[in-house]
Amino acid sequence: MKSKRWNKAGMSVAALTLGMSLIAGCGGNNTDNSSSASPAANGNNQEASGSTAPAKNPVKVKFMNMWAKDSTENVAVTVREQLAKFQADNPDIIVEEESIGDQNAYYTKLKTLAASNDLPDIFISKGSELAMFAQNETTAPLDEILSADTAWKDGFLPTAFNDLNSGGHTYGVPFSMLATSVIYYNKQIFADAGIASFPKTWAELQDAVDKLKAKGVTPIALGNKEQWVAESCILSALGDRFTGTDWFNGIINKSGSKFTDPDFVKGLTAFQDLAKQGAFNADLNSINNDQQKTLYFNGKAAMFMEGSWAIGAVASAPKEVADNTEVAVLPAVDGGKGNALATSGGAGSGYAVGIKGFADKKDAIAKVIKAISGEEFAKGLAEKGEPVAFKIADYDKSKVSPLAVKYAELSSQLQFTPIYDSYLSPALVSVLNADLQALLINAITPEELAKKVQAEYEKAS
Amino acid sequence: MSRSPSMKISRFGLFGLLAPSVAIYTFIMIIPLALSFYYSLTDWTGGPTKNFIGLDNYKLLLKDSLFWHSFKNNLIILALTLVIQMGLAFLLTTFFMSKALRLKEFHRTVIFFPVVLSAVVVGFVWQMIYSHDYGILNAVLRSVGLESSIRAWLDDPKIVLYSVTLPLIWQYLGIPLMIFVSAVHGISKDIYETSELDGCTGFKKAIYITFPLIYDTIKVVMMLSISSNMLVFSHIYVMTGGGPGTSSMVLAQYAYKTSFGSMQLGYGSAVTIGMFIVSFGIILLFKRLAEVKN
Repeated sequence: MKSKRWNKAGMSVAALTLGMSLIAGCGGNNTDNSSSASPAANGNNQEASGSTAPAKNPVKVKFMNMWAKDSTENVAVTVREQLAKFQADNPDIIVEEESIGDQNAYYTKLKTLAASNDLPDIFISKGSELAMFAQNETTAPLDEILSADTAWKDGFLPTAFNDLNSGGHTYGVPFSMLATSVIYYNKQIFADAGIASFPKTWAELQDAVDKLKAKGVTPIALGNKEQWVAESCILSALGDRFTGTDWFNGIINKSGSKFTDPDFVKGLTAFQDLAKQGAFNADLNSINNDQQKTLYFNGKAAMFMEGSWAIGAVASAPKEVADNTEVAVLPAVDGGKGNALATSGGAGSGYAVGIKGFADKKDAIAKVIKAISGEEFAKGLAEKGEPVAFKIADYDKSKVSPLAVKYAELSSQLQFTPIYDSYLSPALVSVLNADLQALLINAITPEELAKKVQAEYEKAS
Repeated sequence: MSRSPSMKISRFGLFGLLAPSVAIYTFIMIIPLALSFYYSLTDWTGGPTKNFIGLDNYKLLLKDSLFWHSFKNNLIILALTLVIQMGLAFLLTTFFMSKALRLKEFHRTVIFFPVVLSAVVVGFVWQMIYSHDYGILNAVLRSVGLESSIRAWLDDPKIVLYSVTLPLIWQYLGIPLMIFVSAVHGISKDIYETSELDGCTGFKKAIYITFPLIYDTIKVVMMLSISSNMLVFSHIYVMTGGGPGTSSMVLAQYAYKTSFGSMQLGYGSAVTIGMFIVSFGIILLFKRLAEVKN
């Protein structure tokens, strides 16, 4: 009898340990997938290279990105165009593309790869993650390949590298300048609700929200299941309206700013008040940012807030929605210290290089990065109406979608302020993001959130 | 048991036969667990440097409200599952035993079917069921005039935990049911016949005959249920990601999030070990409570 009991105990221990090793094994599984996924993702490119005579021992460069294979995002389309061209011209280099369309999954995989020092040859990363990878010496500084080609290096806009530097070295090459907080609104719905023009002040915005609600539409569609949307696409800009950029620089440089400072709390309060007022859909924490666009495309919502990367998606929306869409940024707030003609933005992310591949494939990697960041790429991107990180003299504006023209007009008057998650540490961002979900459903107060984030901030420093 | 000569195996042969399973067990359980424990004593964040910091992570863990909050959620899910799932399974077992039930094979297949589905698929399906605007649940409520009970099922911190437990109960109902049914089949028919002669029928039969006779099986099933429920992850990860805020966060997800979300691999390992300890504690406690004094 005794032995039987031990068997049972043994079995349960076994079940527990197995389960736990499964969790721990998540990362391992991901890496295995990559080899099988890449040939499929890379179909066109390999065909392109197949047409020319294959060279002996081509160098394989692995390129991991967050653009789904069928992505209509302008950046994704342009990168793939340039890669196809690059493959045709360089049969001795094979770019193996691995695409993970879901941003959260992408960064999870990236961090897992980084933990095992197995970062791909080229990958896309936000500045904050890069800083951490750099500290852990899993990503290679790119100063060397940048200064080897000064024409390329100096071609970038002067501020383009800001988000991608760490400890005096450059770890990433930018590919676009994006705003993470742009309001897309349907002017037809606005007009039907009796709102003549987009609100200029916070009070007007609140008034507009009431009017839209009375019309029976959701004022602002928000899909914050993946937790970054509320922070990256709304709070980064809204917070800056209240605090001004100096406050955030103080946070980054650890020179006295606190998350509990009244200005930041005011920003959080304004955000929560908007939610209390019913500005968002009821299921804001269980749908994602694609579903928030779906709400808007179906005409069920009057606005949604996302980065400039959504322009491509809106342009391919149902015609009556696409034609009526206008872009704006958050209105000015009372007593705010920030510039009202500003929104969170910058290069945000860039191409970075894993330290393993860099050692023996440096030249091939540099060539690939140049092809997908240099002048030709920037031109292709600009012709689709996307803001670029590279100085380009003239390009063909005829094919640019009307919405992109509107955005270009808007962004030319804007100042870019820091994107929170490009600078704050991943641990801090994960606390902030989770608590924002709670804030928007009144589960915690702005003061509590500020306190918790501040505690995490102090723990790290 | 008397040993016949043909059953004799040399000591060497015995260890030889044991070796493969011992090796597998060592490599997929003992070593990862030991490694995890080692990492949990460091401040590892994914780089080449791992500083040994002793038990600091565990000190932090004891005071980590989120860890205990997740543990509490695990316990709630566990309690609900044990009560509702086991209760339902036992009830269904007695139905299966009765002669009134037709199409037994069919019912069994239908109830067992979700068990073979992937947890991720189940998560996605239930996410759609719960969807506020398009979900079938709210549509049904609307059509029967219960507009007042329409909710954003996965967005309300007060009910989200129950919303994510329901799919778990539904999906794995088939397992205890299968085991119970086969255990009941093992009970000799004579006992039932005798008891019927004595006037014990229906519900009484279930309580006084079936239940005590399959008590040992029930204990094993409950133990399996405890260990799998302490590790629940995929459903919740897919449906809510632990949200809103942290209201549906469970231990496994917290370990995952700390390790791979915020890259605190050292602390994440401490969470995993902590999870192992509390789960093991619960199992031991349960064994203690469930023991019947002869």
